[in-house]
Amino acid sequence: MILDRLAREVEALIFASDASLSIEKLCEYTGSGKDSVHQALDRLNKAFLDQQHALIIIEVAGGYRLATDKDFGAIVSQLFEGRKPGKLSRAALETLAVIAYSQPCTRMAIESIRGVNCDSAIRTLLERDMIRISGRMETPGRPLLYSTTMVFLEYFGLTDLDHLPRSSEIAELLCMSSSEMEEKDLFGAADGE
Amino acid sequence: MLSNSCRIQLESFEGPLDLLLYLIRRDEIDIYDIPMAHVADQYLKYIREAHDLNLDIASEYLVMAATLTRMKSRSLLPIHRIDGEEEEDPGAELRRQLILYRTFREIAKELHRSEETWNDIYTSPGERDRWSIDNTSVEPGQTSLMDLLRALDNLSEDEIELPSQRIQRKLLTVSECIQTLEQIFHTGDLISFRSIVGLKPSRTKIVSYFITILELIRRGWISFHQAYPFAEIELKRTERWTVDS
Repeated sequence: MILDRLAREVEALIFASDASLSIEKLCEYTGSGKDSVHQALDRLNKAFLDQQHALIIIEVAGGYRLATDKDFGAIVSQLFEGRKPGKLSRAALETLAVIAYSQPCTRMAIESIRGVNCDSAIRTLLERDMIRISGRMETPGRPLLYSTTMVFLEYFGLTDLDHLPRSSEIAELLCMSSSEMEEKDLFGAADGE
Repeated sequence: MLSNSCRIQLESFEGPLDLLLYLIRRDEIDIYDIPMAHVADQYLKYIREAHDLNLDIASEYLVMAATLTRMKSRSLLPIHRIDGEEEEDPGAELRRQLILYRTFREIAKELHRSEETWNDIYTSPGERDRWSIDNTSVEPGQTSLMDLLRALDNLSEDEIELPSQRIQRKLLTVSECIQTLEQIFHTGDLISFRSIVGLKPSRTKIVSYFITILELIRRGWISFHQAYPFAEIELKRTERWTVDS
């Protein structure tokens, strides 16, 4: 299959870009409409697939990126041996989950949900750029507020915050009082472990 | 269902809520109808076991133990209702906490699955920059407080010598103030607070003299009069000052 000019322009842009390229940027640089760019992306990925390339274009952190196929994870990882940070601990993941859905939020808010001290988890997440200090709450003591970063989206392969799993359900849950929860009978619903 | 004898160490739980959820699941308890006595007993059993094993028990576990014990004792007592007053269900807040925590625990698991998937995917070029040994050229606005702290961490302590300056604080003690007052203030004299501290007094001077005045009033050595709030405070030395001292 021979690729058309637009598809190859899109390929070149995504390959050379130092950050994920949004659909708007791709349209701007190629001078084409959204539909044409989307179709060009589809053609590119089809070409990658047909010719059994180890690459694919993915949508992550609000834009498009060229990525390696996960089958080659082990071989590629050799390039970054000793540099790539390890996986996140359960405490860090839980803390990150709370921040992701209730951001910007204070340490107190996180701890009231997790029921444990979150100091070290927050420190780890800050060090790994998964979260950032996004301000202070204007209440006594002016506690720090934490929000997630682009690194967070990329790390978990999320397009944007709206694509967090079960986002509307959890937003609703966070606003509920204890009596409202009783009525909803949430706990009876599925305990998937 | 796991058998009751199955011992799981406290360390494998992410806090008291995690442990509670485990117990509730293990004993197939309905969250809307928690047998408080039973759950409290099971929970305390874990805490005791951990204690016997000489494990450090985080304070959060002990707080929860106290909460559960209180709820258990309440559940055993007959409920005394006052007409028209709705008794607040102490279990409701705990249930809310459990539901919220359980939800986020599930989300954390989902994030973990994404992490696993994305761990084997390498994008171009983005993330790799962050793993490189030296990050060159930084644009304004791209650094954060964390970068600064990290940089500070990298400096070895003995290399940094922070400039320091000692600021002397002038002390004016209450007894010094009393001594001064003793000399300028005679029995029967009427004197205003403002005239004691003088023109353009320092903050320390105002505070010290004010406390002194309070102390002298307490002792009954002076009497005072103030016509209305913020008006001039007028002081009068009484005979007791001379008598007592």
